[in-house]
Amino acid sequence: MKDPLRFSRRPELPSSSLVVAWSGDVGQLGPKVLDYLKRKLGCESFCEIEPVDFFPLGGVAIEDSLVQFPESRFYASPRHNLVLFESNSPASEWYRFLNIMLDVAEHYCHVKELYAIGGMVAVSAHTTPRELVANFNSSEVKEALTPYQILGEFDYETPLGQRPTLNSFLLWAAKRRNIPAVSLWVPIPFYLAGIDDPESKKRVLAFIDQRLELGIDFSDLDGEIRSQNEKLAEARNNVPYIEESIAKLESNQSLSEEESLRLVNGMDEFLRGK
Amino acid sequence: MGIRLLKEPVLEKPDMVACWPGIGNIGALAVDTLRTQIGVEEFGDIEPWDFFYPRKVIIKAGVVTDMEFPGGRFYYKKGEGRDLIIFVAEEQPTDGGRMYAEGRKAYEMGGLVLDVAERFGCRRVYTSGAAVALTHHAARPRVWAVTTTESLLQDLKSCENTVLMSEIEGIGGGGSITGMNGLLLGMAGRRGFEAVCLMGEIPDYLSGIPFPFPRASKSVLEVLSRFLGLGINYEALDRMTAQVDGFIESICESLPPPMKERIGQRRIARQVRPEAITEEDAKWIKEHVDELFKKGDTGGERPS
Repeated sequence: MKDPLRFSRRPELPSSSLVVAWSGDVGQLGPKVLDYLKRKLGCESFCEIEPVDFFPLGGVAIEDSLVQFPESRFYASPRHNLVLFESNSPASEWYRFLNIMLDVAEHYCHVKELYAIGGMVAVSAHTTPRELVANFNSSEVKEALTPYQILGEFDYETPLGQRPTLNSFLLWAAKRRNIPAVSLWVPIPFYLAGIDDPESKKRVLAFIDQRLELGIDFSDLDGEIRSQNEKLAEARNNVPYIEESIAKLESNQSLSEEESLRLVNGMDEFLRGK
Repeated sequence: MGIRLLKEPVLEKPDMVACWPGIGNIGALAVDTLRTQIGVEEFGDIEPWDFFYPRKVIIKAGVVTDMEFPGGRFYYKKGEGRDLIIFVAEEQPTDGGRMYAEGRKAYEMGGLVLDVAERFGCRRVYTSGAAVALTHHAARPRVWAVTTTESLLQDLKSCENTVLMSEIEGIGGGGSITGMNGLLLGMAGRRGFEAVCLMGEIPDYLSGIPFPFPRASKSVLEVLSRFLGLGINYEALDRMTAQVDGFIESICESLPPPMKERIGQRRIARQVRPEAITEEDAKWIKEHVDELFKKGDTGGERPS
């Protein structure tokens, strides 16, 4: 079988941390976090996984006239001991795919901890503080992250008819190699999930910055958050049903399906039109 | 990727019965009945993660404590009739969203099952499944048989209620068996085992049902048990058949009248050519089976 890894270079990474994100994530939170890290820390691509065994390649998908082709790529910033992995979710051979990824992490990057990022749709208002929620692949890594104000004290079993997330599978596969791993996600207000939510991005990034001691200057992202909040305030001031719906959410009242849909569409129109 | 054996039972020229789920769970239910009745002991399994996506994660206080995968387990029974190994898989190893296995994963899983067969000196491998036929749901399903070994043809042909696939009306002497229950036959033959597949008939209009069709499982088990020299009590299967029959009847009652009539005609005579139930009828029933299932569920007992 052909080697599924294609290295463009071999960076020196004696001890690193790995951050993983999947394209198509809710609100594209993971990919947006990785894009930010790449840009701020100068992470460069060094390896990719060949798609042929993991994705149906019977053609290409087109979105907004742009060709979409599955990519599974590693980036690194040796100076920050940081490795990033961004990929489409594989369509088959999941365990093999995760192990190839973990082979690179373990053998080439000497990864000592792994963080998988994801978004989650929440029925909450954007004025609610963004919480960081996590599950862990060992009680030791959970213990180590206690100081970071992460919500992680919950029990869960996959309901019948659903499947575990790829991040859960990843945590389990990492545990088999004794790599401490955490799946982190932020609940994103549902009416921002299809647009952008820089607050959620900041919540994840602030944790990564603190945990990995990266010293990131977030002034640009803070500006983005301010700008978004101004637009949201404007939307509330100018569109009565937007104000009404958000006020309901703020007072923990539920919205009807029709109200929810109207809020999503109205917000999309307002924010994208601005 | 591999086999995990809990123990190495000493078996004398055992036969193997291998089974993956398929249409109407006909083979799976037959093998499950066999397994329960003869009192087997589990002795190993196939590591599932190379073949399946997990079906359940269990998280306790935020920590992933377990990941459950569809299983594929080996059982054995010594002494009653022939020594026997039974392999039961909970899912077919598919890539992506297909229902039936094909390609590399299927071939690898089949290879592992046959490795166990070889290791314990099996001489014959049985699989089972469904034969979609132009029949009526209340008719006794026949068993279609195929084998890798010419010398077995006569044996199969002489079994009551059994017909060789080449002799089935209207399929031109050929055909194919989809998925693992078919693939394993070819692989077994190639590795020098005798292999037999027994398929219970299920009406074409029920081939999409989301519940078992035990009437056909019984037919399969009658033939299989004869070959294995085992006596089987069919009470549980008969009870389930009565339940499912009632349920299917209630579904049929809710069909459009012309279709109901066409299905009824099959009660009188086995259909040779597909004219009583048209392809369109069968397609319509398959497409509406969930809807019919819900309708039928309102008054009756849901089959397990």
